[in-house]
Amino acid sequence: MLNPLQQTVLQLGLYLFTGSLESVLAYLDLLLPTCMRTIAEINEKIQQQKAVVWTVEELKARVVEQGIAAVAKQVDVITTGTFEPMEASGAILNLGHTDPPIKIRRCWLDGVPAYSGFGAVDLFLGAAQSTETPEGEEPRELGGGHVIEALIGGKTVHLRALGQVTDCYPRASFETTITRDTINQFYLFNPRNLYQNFIVGVNGGDRLLHTYLGPLQPRLGNAVYSNPGAIAPLFNDPKLQLVGVGTRIFLGGGIGYITWEGTQHFPLQKRLPNQTPIGPAATLALIGDAKQMSTRWVRGCYFKHYGPSLMLGVGVPFPVLTEEVVAHCAVQDQDLVAPVVDFSIPRRVRPTFGLVSYAQLKSGRIQIEGKPVRVAPLASIYLSRQVATELKAWIEAGEFTLTEAVAPITSDRTFLPQDVWGSQMVMD
Amino acid sequence: MPVTYRLAKDFNVAANIIRAQVAPNQIGKLVVELSGDIDQLDAAIEWMRSQEIGVSSSSREIVIDEESCVHCGLCTGVCPTEALTLDPTTFRLAFARSRCIVCEQCVATCPVEAISVNL
Repeated sequence: MLNPLQQTVLQLGLYLFTGSLESVLAYLDLLLPTCMRTIAEINEKIQQQKAVVWTVEELKARVVEQGIAAVAKQVDVITTGTFEPMEASGAILNLGHTDPPIKIRRCWLDGVPAYSGFGAVDLFLGAAQSTETPEGEEPRELGGGHVIEALIGGKTVHLRALGQVTDCYPRASFETTITRDTINQFYLFNPRNLYQNFIVGVNGGDRLLHTYLGPLQPRLGNAVYSNPGAIAPLFNDPKLQLVGVGTRIFLGGGIGYITWEGTQHFPLQKRLPNQTPIGPAATLALIGDAKQMSTRWVRGCYFKHYGPSLMLGVGVPFPVLTEEVVAHCAVQDQDLVAPVVDFSIPRRVRPTFGLVSYAQLKSGRIQIEGKPVRVAPLASIYLSRQVATELKAWIEAGEFTLTEAVAPITSDRTFLPQDVWGSQMVMD
Repeated sequence: MPVTYRLAKDFNVAANIIRAQVAPNQIGKLVVELSGDIDQLDAAIEWMRSQEIGVSSSSREIVIDEESCVHCGLCTGVCPTEALTLDPTTFRLAFARSRCIVCEQCVATCPVEAISVNL
């Protein structure tokens, strides 16, 4: 079997051999439409502020009117965005050294523990970390996400640290207040963001459940979905052909980058014929300078009786390199599905009530076993749209150029469960 | 003047103080929930007015902080009267005050504490 490149070379060779220049040119012409423009060409247009940039919703509407081929000729860049809770997020902070110096081993920011088991004054503050409350006090509905938002908003945060006394780090404890301007590095480093699709949560049991999707009322009292559907970045690039390690993105109102596949990245999820996954699939790890970010796009949040999290705006631009890019981005809510999962069974594999389309979800009502159920989103569709619009404005103004990926995101990662391995004791 | 004492003693009206802003020798404000016999309540309010106490009635109301709201819509799924809905076109949160029964389920549901009860 020949691969496509070998076939092309062979074909060209044959045409050259037969001596017909016209046939060579005709064949090259056939190849050309597969690549309409390069990223370098698009960036040149961006820098001259001549690039045609549409949000993915504008693109979808125009494809309905004009068709894929006509639209692909006009548009250079498509912007997508989402704004949703992403609890697998966190911030790296470097405090700078004290005198005498300290090797921090335990640390709290506004009472929220930060991980310090690496550099002497390096901290990782997890978005889903709850505040520690002294015994007997009501737990405050506060977590890492709120502290990250406070720092981004320029607010003062209380810091308490305990050190391990060594000959080079003699200090045992330290207490101060910090702001984003009094620390060195402050960047978000999020191990799992941008879920390509997610689930719809319901509760088939008979008591109220408090979950990461908010309250789920008993006897299928409500349903919650958390992906904004057809406007979400990775629904429009189902096979992750346009993003990779090093792709520049909009992260929390500043510039960020895709650093790696996200944790629980599961590209092998079952897919529809349009290649979009039927449940949680690809994820991405993201990084970005928090000092550039804004609290408009980075919000601490709290789910009652579940815990804190972080709502985050993320935008991804797609270069229109081929017609296929437009074809993928033309996908509509009625072409995308998510599984309805029953949270009343507290197991890893929960029973499902089948698949529903995002068009049904966004209508505000779905049918489950013949019963109408009210549906609410958890992603802000209103702010997701604004992320795409904001990123479009950056690109149109020539402030944001596109990047070639340095390496692809793997497409064949399996998703292993953590089972009890090895022999288990059996009591007879 | 021991207002709540007189309400209880003279009119058999229970006064549940929700908020109080009272300083010595100054005009203060007291938010109270009164419960008792309907005629006694009317008489109690009349008596308070006769003592030059300004009385106005108020009801509990849901207040949405536009600055904090992220329009996620999570509250719309728990609102039993559909007073809270997402606009089908803009997906902005819409609140129909006339439909609200102040059940306060939205208050606990809101992940960004944008909803509170005003009194």
